[in-house]
Amino acid sequence: MSAITVSRQLGSLGFEVAETAADLLGFRLVWRDVINQAGRIAGSPEAALAAIDDLGLLGICPSPEACLAYRQAVQQIMQELADQGNVVIIGRAGQQILSGWPEVLHVRVIAPRTLRIERVAVRQEISKESAFAQVEASDRRRRSYLKRFYNVQWDDPNLYDLVINTAHLTPRAAAQIIARTLFDPLFSSHEPASPRHETPLQSARN
Amino acid sequence: MKPLYNPPETDKSKFAHPVEEAFARILDFYGLQWQYEPRTFPLQWDESGNVTEAFTPDFYLPEQDLYIELTTLRPQLSTMKNRKMRRMQELYPDIHLKLFKRREMRDLMVKFGLYDQAEKIQGTEAQEAIA
Repeated sequence: MSAITVSRQLGSLGFEVAETAADLLGFRLVWRDVINQAGRIAGSPEAALAAIDDLGLLGICPSPEACLAYRQAVQQIMQELADQGNVVIIGRAGQQILSGWPEVLHVRVIAPRTLRIERVAVRQEISKESAFAQVEASDRRRRSYLKRFYNVQWDDPNLYDLVINTAHLTPRAAAQIIARTLFDPLFSSHEPASPRHETPLQSARN
Repeated sequence: MKPLYNPPETDKSKFAHPVEEAFARILDFYGLQWQYEPRTFPLQWDESGNVTEAFTPDFYLPEQDLYIELTTLRPQLSTMKNRKMRRMQELYPDIHLKLFKRREMRDLMVKFGLYDQAEKIQGTEAQEAIA
């Protein structure tokens, strides 16, 4: 029983890496499901939509109570997923919520900013200026989410077991590295922490 | 109270207003599933029980279970819509409904390269039409 969390930058091919890793390992890929389910549990679909609105296009601003209920639901769902195992979880602060959980590999997928901008521009058929704006906005929102609610730096390598730069790696090559690492005896032997240890979110609630 | 159901099929080319099509493109941009005006909610009835007033939110997002209504920023044009929203909340408290003001979207759509969509939100004609 294992799980992988994937944190990625816009334009890093992180989604493709996660998808390919899940495919290689025969794991379930979980992305928006966490968000939507948390929105339903918290009774705040607005908070879920705000989480999806990576660029802030919709300008949604749910109440602090709705946001807290949503984040608590995300935490609950993610811990249940980790308990079930055989899952690749994309985003939603998985690296922090499941920090210290046994048999959970935390992966960060990055790429040089110029390359990310190029990839976004090509994929969406937009100008590099617009792609730059998207990358900036996405980085800002994701960074701010981790800082605000978990008080950690999104790009701190200490949060991850593996940081993969896709500048010269295909998603498949990156996924193979992840799969090998997951089943590496050295990784498997890592010190299991208590799965119920207190996270900053729980501290805030108390 | 049971809402009325419109046919589930949505012809994406037949939006009532350009701003609705633009909004749908933002939803597509995020890969969100959506339905256009899938339900009509009765708000008022006459003595015989016939519906005399109803409200049809512009969009429904099934994955989020959220209804969305688009509106203008002009206060005089949105008064009626706000009243209907309040009535909706009274009669259907379990229905999640969000009101979006369109100007908030436009600037960002321009910034992020969604120019076609942004152009459709511009102009008095669209603003009045959606009211």
